[in-house]
Amino acid sequence: MNETATDVLVIGAGPAGLAVGGCLKPAGVAFELLERASKVAPRWRDHYERLHLHTFRDLSRLPDHPWPLGVAAYPSRDQVVAYFEEHARQNGLRPRFEREVTSLRREGTRWVARTRGPHGDERWSAPRAVVATGYNRVPNRPRWPGEETFSGRVMHAAEYRNGREWLGKRALVVGSGNSGAEIVLDLFEHGASTSMCVRHPTHVSPRDLFGVIPTQVLGLGLGWLPPKLFDRLALPMTKRLVGDLSAYGISRPERGPMELLQATGRVPLLDIGTVELIRQGRVTVYPGIERFDGSDVVFVDGRRAAFDVVVLATGYHAALEGFLDGAERLVDGKGHPTAFGEEHPDAPGLYFVGYRNPPTGAIHDIAKEAVRVAKAIAHAATTATTTTATATSTAKSSTTSSGTTSGATRSAADPADSGEKKGART
Amino acid sequence: MSLPPELDFWHPVLTSEELDDAPKKVRLMGTDVAVFRLRGGGSVGAVLDRCPHRGASLSNGTVRDRCVVCPYHGWKWATDGTGQSPGNPEGSFRTQAFDALESDGAIWIKRAGTAVPFPRFDVAGFLEISRMRRRVNAPLEVVLDNFIEVEHTGNVHYVLGYDTQRLGEVICRVETTPESVRVYNQGAQKPMPWVLRKLFRYPPNAHFVDDWVTHFSPVRSVYDQYWIDRLTGERGGDFLRNTVFFVPVDAQTTELFVFVYAEATAWGRFGLNLALLKPLTAWLGRLEIEADVKMIEGLADKSPEIRGNLLGRFDRGPLAARNRIRRIYRRGVEGLESVRNEGGED
Repeated sequence: MNETATDVLVIGAGPAGLAVGGCLKPAGVAFELLERASKVAPRWRDHYERLHLHTFRDLSRLPDHPWPLGVAAYPSRDQVVAYFEEHARQNGLRPRFEREVTSLRREGTRWVARTRGPHGDERWSAPRAVVATGYNRVPNRPRWPGEETFSGRVMHAAEYRNGREWLGKRALVVGSGNSGAEIVLDLFEHGASTSMCVRHPTHVSPRDLFGVIPTQVLGLGLGWLPPKLFDRLALPMTKRLVGDLSAYGISRPERGPMELLQATGRVPLLDIGTVELIRQGRVTVYPGIERFDGSDVVFVDGRRAAFDVVVLATGYHAALEGFLDGAERLVDGKGHPTAFGEEHPDAPGLYFVGYRNPPTGAIHDIAKEAVRVAKAIAHAATTATTTTATATSTAKSSTTSSGTTSGATRSAADPADSGEKKGART
Repeated sequence: MSLPPELDFWHPVLTSEELDDAPKKVRLMGTDVAVFRLRGGGSVGAVLDRCPHRGASLSNGTVRDRCVVCPYHGWKWATDGTGQSPGNPEGSFRTQAFDALESDGAIWIKRAGTAVPFPRFDVAGFLEISRMRRRVNAPLEVVLDNFIEVEHTGNVHYVLGYDTQRLGEVICRVETTPESVRVYNQGAQKPMPWVLRKLFRYPPNAHFVDDWVTHFSPVRSVYDQYWIDRLTGERGGDFLRNTVFFVPVDAQTTELFVFVYAEATAWGRFGLNLALLKPLTAWLGRLEIEADVKMIEGLADKSPEIRGNLLGRFDRGPLAARNRIRRIYRRGVEGLESVRNEGGED
């Protein structure tokens, strides 16, 4: 089997992997960026068409990569994808596409990734590895009794593109997260008769406070406060702005938004119009599903209604156990790594980036984690006495000429390595 | 009763501010509709503005118990069209209801129960500049024609438009799909005052781009207007996204419903956006629309027919729009093939 040795393996060319690559490059660290799809940011690319970044553009950017002119405060899906593509291009990142990592394990002092794909089975090894496969690697697909009898279609939000084919049809969206709420809007706008399943009490906040200030700014500005204090400040405001929705089937949790987030990881719903549709009676809210029955869905409160399509906006799993050897020791109850943005204390040379979905925005945190991880790696690489030696110092010197980068011990079978081009950037 | 096919589509009829506690009369394709706001429930309703009992105008009535109440005999009409009569408690009554929705700062109505897409325009993260409606004494086609060609902007407009002397150089590309007409225009900007050039962050060697897509269910155009450096192709700072709905009040009257948004943040440039960009752009938009309206209302011939006129290269947009209005919006009523529910959307 063909084996490629390098300094760092980065698994996944989504926002997190790209951010890490973009930081390692100017630090002069050699790395391989492995991606199962054939393009960067595949999850973003496959999301539904209506999707916009839920957080403010300038607070959601990769390190040293500003948004271009002509992009509004909440970029659209296509603009986000173009932004990531441009980031990869400007940083000279050349991910190894169509390499699905089937296993990542420690062998001696090195991390070894095995990949499969059209290029055959390959091995990649490095003393350090950054796992950046995202918290949304695998759709979370709940099942209910009687699903096999259902005459309509059930699909996960990951398969949903737009509501065009559901004009005049009855649609149910399960899940009241941000994507669930936006898919409800999309189905309504495409002329479907739309209902929504809200399974848990949910905090609702407008995306923009008073119409102009992103709620994310509040999260960033006050995020350092103790959760209980934060909630004491934030709750009255969102209560005033959103009002009591319990008459419509959406109740507020007992715990405040920040407390709940830290305990369960559930982010508040940043509303962009769905609540208004509910209030005006254009969208019906149901509680959780109990079972399916022919053309009907039966809810836990005993109500039932017929639907043509059920869209499951029920989230994703990081599913690290799917490829990472010994993952169970490294993750918490939700399957997310117990340490991120730094070397995992229980796995030497292993780093996780991008496993949080905080109210401050996932990309915002990815950028911070990526910078820290790249710094730590660059530092470790220069001080290490291991096989590979990086010639340049840790510095942020962005003008490393190709000759100074490491790679001397890399296998000769690998001429087009991704860590060798000049790290030219502004 | 039979309603014109145009009423199947969502149309904006009032701005949110215009609808208070009292019902309001609006007119669409010659049909009068009473629009009302429900008390205590964030919702709006609409029924035919003629009480089926004895013909009173319900828009002169009041709103009570989530119903509009007839000023004549107190018959009550709910948003779904069901009625109650205080003098005939046993009877069950119905009137023509309309679906009503409040969204984007406007009240929208359509015939109850039709399955059509909602005419969304994507302004996520844009700054709202203004929202206005303006009645024009001319048929829908004639009004639309003015709004989907740039040849007039040299003469008619004050600021947003092309230099008359260099109209011949303006690039005008027309792209059509069965549901939409897109027109891309690029050329030398009319001379513009220094203040505005600064405000809009005008790039060097500026070319004005006016790029719009017109849809027909209902009839509306979404305009992206910005400046590019004609040598490098790079975009200037700000741009406008304007959406104009062409609402047919009756055969001879059209209402423009305009939503103006800018790609800018409210807090940007130390509040200058809110303090200056917003009011100035709103004023400018109104000025240009008034200029258009004056020109349209003064036309010697306001017949919606365009065949037989002498046409130039800028008239390809209006021509392409004509058959789509007939086919999609008026659903073949003028003798063309009838296509139901063909509501191709953005």
